[in-house]
Amino acid sequence: MRTRLLWRGIYLAAVVIFLLFTLGPVLWCLIISITPEAEMFRSGVGLIPAHATLENYARLLGMNSRESTNFMEALSNSLITAGATILIGLPIAVAAGYALARVKVRGGRILLIAMLLTMPVPILATIIPLYALYATIGLLDNHFALAAVYVSSTLPLVTLIITNHFRSFPDEIEQAALMDGAGRVRLFFDVVLPVSYPIVLSAALVMFLWAWGQYMIPLILASSRATKPLSVMVAEFSSKEFFLYGMTAAAGILAMLAPAVFAVVFRRYLISGLTEGGVE
Amino acid sequence: MSALVLYPIVFTFVYSLQDYRLIYPDKRAFVGLENYARVLADPMFWNAFANTLLVTVIVLLLGLTSSLVVASILSVPTRFNGLLTAVAIIPWALPPVVNGLLWKFVFYPGYGLLNKLLIGAGVVEGPIQWFGGRLGTLLVIALVVAWRLAPFGAIVLLASMQSIPRDVYEAATTDGASRLQAFWDITRPLLAPSIAVVASYLVVNSLFTFDEVIALVGNRALTSTLALYNYNQAFTFLNLGTGGATAYLVMLGTGIAGFAYVRSMVGKAG
Repeated sequence: MRTRLLWRGIYLAAVVIFLLFTLGPVLWCLIISITPEAEMFRSGVGLIPAHATLENYARLLGMNSRESTNFMEALSNSLITAGATILIGLPIAVAAGYALARVKVRGGRILLIAMLLTMPVPILATIIPLYALYATIGLLDNHFALAAVYVSSTLPLVTLIITNHFRSFPDEIEQAALMDGAGRVRLFFDVVLPVSYPIVLSAALVMFLWAWGQYMIPLILASSRATKPLSVMVAEFSSKEFFLYGMTAAAGILAMLAPAVFAVVFRRYLISGLTEGGVE
Repeated sequence: MSALVLYPIVFTFVYSLQDYRLIYPDKRAFVGLENYARVLADPMFWNAFANTLLVTVIVLLLGLTSSLVVASILSVPTRFNGLLTAVAIIPWALPPVVNGLLWKFVFYPGYGLLNKLLIGAGVVEGPIQWFGGRLGTLLVIALVVAWRLAPFGAIVLLASMQSIPRDVYEAATTDGASRLQAFWDITRPLLAPSIAVVASYLVVNSLFTFDEVIALVGNRALTSTLALYNYNQAFTFLNLGTGGATAYLVMLGTGIAGFAYVRSMVGKAG
């Protein structure tokens, strides 16, 4: 009885520390973003502002200020590039993942290992010639050229997730349909795809979160105002305009909104995707 | 796809053997291993190397411990499990630059959360300069990187904890084993393969540390990492030769950790 109580206490303490440590920084950033400037530096005041304000958000999202023009442009750049990454990458990953799991191609396993081997390759070992190439053929500061680099970087992990899923997925129905003379391609669209939406959704999520979080690649390939994503803008706030802490905090909160909401709402798909990529 | 990966890897190596500076495009010429020698003779390379090594070791220790703790918390079935899982995954899902920004607000001397709390509790008189020294800054960087990487570790470990059948534990406890004994004798050895996956994931990713450094303290030489040093060679000094050489030197390190990662992944997938 006593040890049970002790373990309960340890569990609760661990949960509290875990929650403080994980949510604390996010909540503090949220508080800074709604605290009026006058209250921020007054010492001896509590952590929660007495008069919360949404002014910082209004300045970023409003229509006619320099900040809002820049912010909205960065937001749409992030959305366009992440969207293009999914649109180009997902069909390739699903087709390749399914083929690697089902069709016995010679060298399929080697191809899979080769794709895995690209994961520990540092970005800087591939981006220097890409920068030189893009500069020569005029593809710097181009949403879709940036998305092409994102696709080639995420494809190994996402294809692995999908391959592992189909490997553990029984293929009796598919075998039966093949016996009846259905083609692989029709079978894929009529039988396999309709029941595979969870894994396709988790693959799309992994791609979105990865693309949304990128910083070094767009900094090098697409840092002009017309193409730079939110992450690059947040980094500029953090280094050059940190004295505008309220607006910097608000920009941080807005930049994390989409990934945080997606991760919380679709956590089940995300976790099953990640565990299929990492372990079986 | 292979065009976008293989082509650049080969050409980075070609560049690393050339005098290739974008400010002198006409002077491009083959120079053998000169760029490698120049990088290896640069004290700032070794500064970045030491910084990255320290960050990697701390991330490995901190990341493994917290992944294990979080996985253990999530493995206890309670009403709040869905909520806790949702919270656990957040740091991994956020852009790394934003993570750096969040923790900058925690450690910032002026209105940082930590100094406010410490001064409020009367522990210290004035604000502590967390980013004042090299060691302190690197510790904060490592903490933020571990914060981002731990959720993936926790999810991987949780999945393999849940694949251990419950009756193994029941048998152990009826035989009189304590929970700690059960963890050490049953959970630990069965988790070993997943711990290898998580450890190599932590090492590979902390060797790439870049975004958090920029967001926390900017592009400073003293607290530079290998990725930052490499970025500066290629895109600040516009020297694609030494930039390429640095990239290949870094890849030697990540290659070893990455090989372990790929092997543990393929072992599981195969």
